[in-house]
Amino acid sequence: MTQILQPETLDEALAVLAAEDEAMPMSGGATLVAMKNARLVEPTHLVSLDRIAGLRGIATLPDGRIRIGAMTRHFETASSALLTGSLSVLRQAAGKIANRVVRNMGTMGGSVANADPAADYLPALACCDAVLTIARAGGERELSILDYVEDWYETALEEGEVITAFTLPAPEESPSAYRKIARVTGDFATASCAMALTADGQGIRVAIGACGPGPLRDPEAEQALIGKLDDPDAVTALAERLVAMADPIDDVRGTADYRLALIPRLVRQGLDDLKKDLR
Amino acid sequence: MKIEGRFDVNAPRAEVWDKVRDPAVMAQCIPGCEDIEEQGDDAYRAVVAVKVGPIKARFNLLVEVLEELPPHTVISRTSGDEGTRASVVTSENRLTLTETATGTQVDYMADVSVTGRLGKFGLGIFRKKADQMAATFVDNFSKHLEVSA
Repeated sequence: MTQILQPETLDEALAVLAAEDEAMPMSGGATLVAMKNARLVEPTHLVSLDRIAGLRGIATLPDGRIRIGAMTRHFETASSALLTGSLSVLRQAAGKIANRVVRNMGTMGGSVANADPAADYLPALACCDAVLTIARAGGERELSILDYVEDWYETALEEGEVITAFTLPAPEESPSAYRKIARVTGDFATASCAMALTADGQGIRVAIGACGPGPLRDPEAEQALIGKLDDPDAVTALAERLVAMADPIDDVRGTADYRLALIPRLVRQGLDDLKKDLR
Repeated sequence: MKIEGRFDVNAPRAEVWDKVRDPAVMAQCIPGCEDIEEQGDDAYRAVVAVKVGPIKARFNLLVEVLEELPPHTVISRTSGDEGTRASVVTSENRLTLTETATGTQVDYMADVSVTGRLGKFGLGIFRKKADQMAATFVDNFSKHLEVSA
């Protein structure tokens, strides 16, 4: 039997998670409840984070950065007026998750904690240079999204830890876009691409989803592309670097080879879209 | 799902054969192996724990040696479950040792099937996990041979 707890404070939740080996935090439950019903996980305690004040909502910090509480529902992210310009990629990704029911239920923290390689937030957050705030009993730490996923469904999140927030740099006016290839609307991505132009319009940040355990991003290759966005060979070189980083699986959504073939197309098309937005 | 691979070790075939047929060595090299015990000459019981993200499974396995051609080939069958039969795993395995100029080439092939709760998990991820476990085994086994050489 699983005991469901609904603590009112984060400290209370973290104390239970620290004390019980087989306790799991639960956010929206969109995935976790289905996993529990399928008996893929059998926690002794499910610690709901739903009643804890301060974990939900999107706000601008005094220095202009944006803070998204981990319990923020996908629909809130998808309709946020604060996620503009370079951060609109995250708003777009949220709007492409599953369907309305799941978007009303699911949270950013839950999705990222589950770290499904084909889920939409990971590449979008990687493109935004997001920083995760992770709390445990007696402390918290910050971690770059690029250091977060360690292996297939394995993350830097340790037992007893909970993601509490995502911090994004202040939005720039440059355009950004999330492109998702999926069998049908609302499915997990076969492959996806989150891209933003830099503030001066001379470079891009680009992250690929569903083509490895975590989002693929190569800041060095992005650096090499600065000022060469109109040079097709230079763009191809960046795409090839991302293909080299990829380690996709064969599954019902597509073969590994198909996914590898999608990456350069996603990069090219994504860039074309952003350039159109500039004009 | 077929898992196959090949690796070379710097040790004579006879020595590799002895290690391959030594359950104590295998227990140390198989990732997640918590226990192994002989059941007569041609069978072993083993407990192997596997973890993919939040999903943890502990399999009670029976390994039966179907055919043994010393010092180069072992054909075996593995079958087992999680105790509650929540997931059932079976696999047909073939291991071949070939002498080379520098030591021994090891070829392994396993045809694995998993049904039940873990069967719901995508096969693509299973393959990645299986490949990782095979790589860890190769690493452990090679180190073991180096240490004892």
